[in-house]
Amino acid sequence: MSVSTAPSPSAAPAADSENTIIETRSLSKIYRDFWGRKKVQALKPLDIDVRKGEIFGLLGPNGSGKSTTIKLILGLLFPSSGRAFVFGKEAGDVSKNERIGYLPEESYLYKFLNAEETLDFYGRLFDMPAAVRRQRSEELIQMVGLQKARRRQLREYSKGMTRRIGLAQALINEPDLLVLDEPTTGLDPIGSREMKDLILRLRDQGKTILMCSHQLTDVQDVCDRIAILHQGDLKELGRVDSLLKVRDVTEVHARGLSEDAKREIAEVIKKHGGNLVQMDNPTSTMEELFLDIVRESEQRPGHRGTGA
Amino acid sequence: MRLQPDQFWGYFEWLFVQGGLLNGFLLTIALALIGFLVSYLVALARSGPVEGFYAISKTISSLFREDLPHTSLRRIWAIAKLSFKEAIRRKVLAVVGIFIVGMMFAGWYLNKQADEPAKLYMSFVLTVTNYMVILLGLFVSAFSLPAEIKSRTIYTIVTKPVRPTEIFIGRVVGFGMIGTLVLFILGTMSYFFVERGIRHQHVVASSSSDGLSGVTSQDAEHKHTFTLGEDGIGVTDEQKGHKHKVVKSGDKFVVGDPAGNLIARVPIYGKFQFLEADGKEGLGKSVGYESEYQKYIEGNTLESAIWTFDGVTERAFPTGLRMEMTLAAFRTFKGDIVTGVQGVIILRNPDGSCETERNQFSIREFQVDEKQFSRKMKGFRGKEAAELDLFKDLAPNGKIEVIVRCLDKGQYMGMAPADLFLRAGDAPFLWNFIKGYIGIWLQMMIVICFGIMFSTFLSGPVAMIATIACLVLGFFGSVASDMLSGKAAGGGPVEALIRIPTQMGVMTDLDIGNESVANIVKVVDGAIIRALITVTAALPDFRSLYTADFVAYGVNIFGGLLGRHITIAFGYFVLTGIVGYFFLKTREMAA
Repeated sequence: MSVSTAPSPSAAPAADSENTIIETRSLSKIYRDFWGRKKVQALKPLDIDVRKGEIFGLLGPNGSGKSTTIKLILGLLFPSSGRAFVFGKEAGDVSKNERIGYLPEESYLYKFLNAEETLDFYGRLFDMPAAVRRQRSEELIQMVGLQKARRRQLREYSKGMTRRIGLAQALINEPDLLVLDEPTTGLDPIGSREMKDLILRLRDQGKTILMCSHQLTDVQDVCDRIAILHQGDLKELGRVDSLLKVRDVTEVHARGLSEDAKREIAEVIKKHGGNLVQMDNPTSTMEELFLDIVRESEQRPGHRGTGA
Repeated sequence: MRLQPDQFWGYFEWLFVQGGLLNGFLLTIALALIGFLVSYLVALARSGPVEGFYAISKTISSLFREDLPHTSLRRIWAIAKLSFKEAIRRKVLAVVGIFIVGMMFAGWYLNKQADEPAKLYMSFVLTVTNYMVILLGLFVSAFSLPAEIKSRTIYTIVTKPVRPTEIFIGRVVGFGMIGTLVLFILGTMSYFFVERGIRHQHVVASSSSDGLSGVTSQDAEHKHTFTLGEDGIGVTDEQKGHKHKVVKSGDKFVVGDPAGNLIARVPIYGKFQFLEADGKEGLGKSVGYESEYQKYIEGNTLESAIWTFDGVTERAFPTGLRMEMTLAAFRTFKGDIVTGVQGVIILRNPDGSCETERNQFSIREFQVDEKQFSRKMKGFRGKEAAELDLFKDLAPNGKIEVIVRCLDKGQYMGMAPADLFLRAGDAPFLWNFIKGYIGIWLQMMIVICFGIMFSTFLSGPVAMIATIACLVLGFFGSVASDMLSGKAAGGGPVEALIRIPTQMGVMTDLDIGNESVANIVKVVDGAIIRALITVTAALPDFRSLYTADFVAYGVNIFGGLLGRHITIAFGYFVLTGIVGYFFLKTREMAA
């Protein structure tokens, strides 16, 4: 099986304090019932650093402690022990929020506001003057493509549109750190692709991104580093490209080879003591196929003849 | 309506002399101590003695060092606007609809034969409005924050640089705005409802041969008689609390609109004292349960009641001294029932140099009796008869004494400090009406503050019940102290539990066959009632905040009283705000 490399490996930032955006030290969370009895340990002592300018992914199945970690970092939950720092400030410090943008798991927005009112409201929460709010809202509505729906109440929005306005509100303050909880859930393949492209673009603008997801392809596509959690325990931590690299397999992609040439290559491999695992025409991914069809349909609207 | 002496304290008198400031201060201290103790216990359990203390100190200092200085008006306004929109979305304006429907049917049930329909209409609309906006405040405030926590929209708020102070104040402002809007609409509608309800027209039914007196037609369940001056202008007698102006032009009479039923008298209250028959200051006689409020003087003795007024100047009383009395009579025998119990009024210069003749009057019980003293009066300077001038002789420096005595032997005349007052002029009724609504508004704001405070740590329904409990205790707090003093017969809750099933009368002694058990019951009751009194002392006394009666009974709401209520409401806003702050600060929004 072929393994492709992770996209855009960025230079690893030095692990000094200036470049560390998020830092957790033995951060743990135990949920207790009313009487203080332990119900479940949602997070076992966790130490991670998220560095400036990287996309850090928290990966794990449902109930693995991803969301708990994010909530602890945002100060929505208080740690049972250990500490979390964001921009060098305690997670409970409100002033850290000035530089954070947060997209919750589902966009918990006010359904009775429209897109403009929503952005204006969150802009006010950052104490932004009216002119700045207007300009910023305009840019963001353009960016997430909600121009046509800007005056509709959020209750009428589709799931994808809700996600987009959610992202727009997270970006209203031009945050240095973006925290994205399951950014692609509920999005169709196009939306999902756009979201991922946007995340990469934001990273290229120098923003730091912490995201959690159980969509493995998302994590693979965008994350620079990941932490894999399972039942509240940190199982793996490292760069995506090095974690995924299969060291003893070599992958060659070539176009226009004849059957003879292929046979010859197999011979060469055998001669050098290698073991030919697979030589085949690669299949495209469903995502690529889908995107191709949609792109083509947009260029030439109408019925598309089904291929053989 | 009977004014209590405390209701005409001046603002600063209340604040500094009568302990308003001190009470507020003590309440704050008590709350701070209890709050600190409870939160320390919680923190102790959570993170140990030292860490716990550190955590609490940090939270307290963060209020003053971080959150208050960084509280932003723009964020408060954003949250206020959102709360306003949310309330509108939850269809609170339906209250207005309910009110309109209520108004439509109320006309059928309000008694048109009542003595003073204006009072009836006025107290009806004010009471209904009061309950409606309090309920409104209760619902919007108690459910909002829990709903946001449940729907998790709060996540997007608290992950922004929003301070707990802003969440609290923003909500108070937002719900205050919606309440104000509703109150404004209800108030405007009420005004026109009352105006329309009491408006009526008469025509002249018959007149005397000289055309200068006559009787009007029977309209709105009453008719007036009138006499006109030589110039053909006059007023009718007073019926159902109002008069009409009557103008004769040619052979025709024109009867004007009713006047005098929507007024705001500005009473001037005096210092009050009883003098015993021997001339010493006394307490007045008690006639027992008949009347607790008033004390009595005996007839045909030298016992007297003396009011000393200040501010009697020509400017305040250009047409002479106008006085209103609501005195009571207590009869030990039937007496002359036609003329009623007789009394006299004497006006005297406080230095004793001159006094008027005795002005005899008979008590008009259960109604306001108006007396008018003209500027020139017959009286005595020393022992000599003289013509006295009200402002030059009797009140040269604005001070005057009003002495009341009872004439009938064996009968008693009752009075309290507020039972006799001077009426300088009238304040505009509309302004008094607005002040009445400000009183309702203040009650609503206090309810909103309590509702929001409870909703910072309780779920919606529980927060609402807690707020209702505060309201009820605030309304009926005085009952608890009556139980303790024995004024309310029947004892406390445990005693009542014994009396009710055994059908024991409340006036008998508690008899359960065993003295020591009865004593234990009384001790337990005493403890429960004392605890209740302590709790109610910390809660707003909604009964004293209720000033709607002033409007209905046509008495100007004193600036000092209004100022006091505004101060009290603001005090509770601050206290509930602090409590709410600590709960918001220490609660996990995502738990």
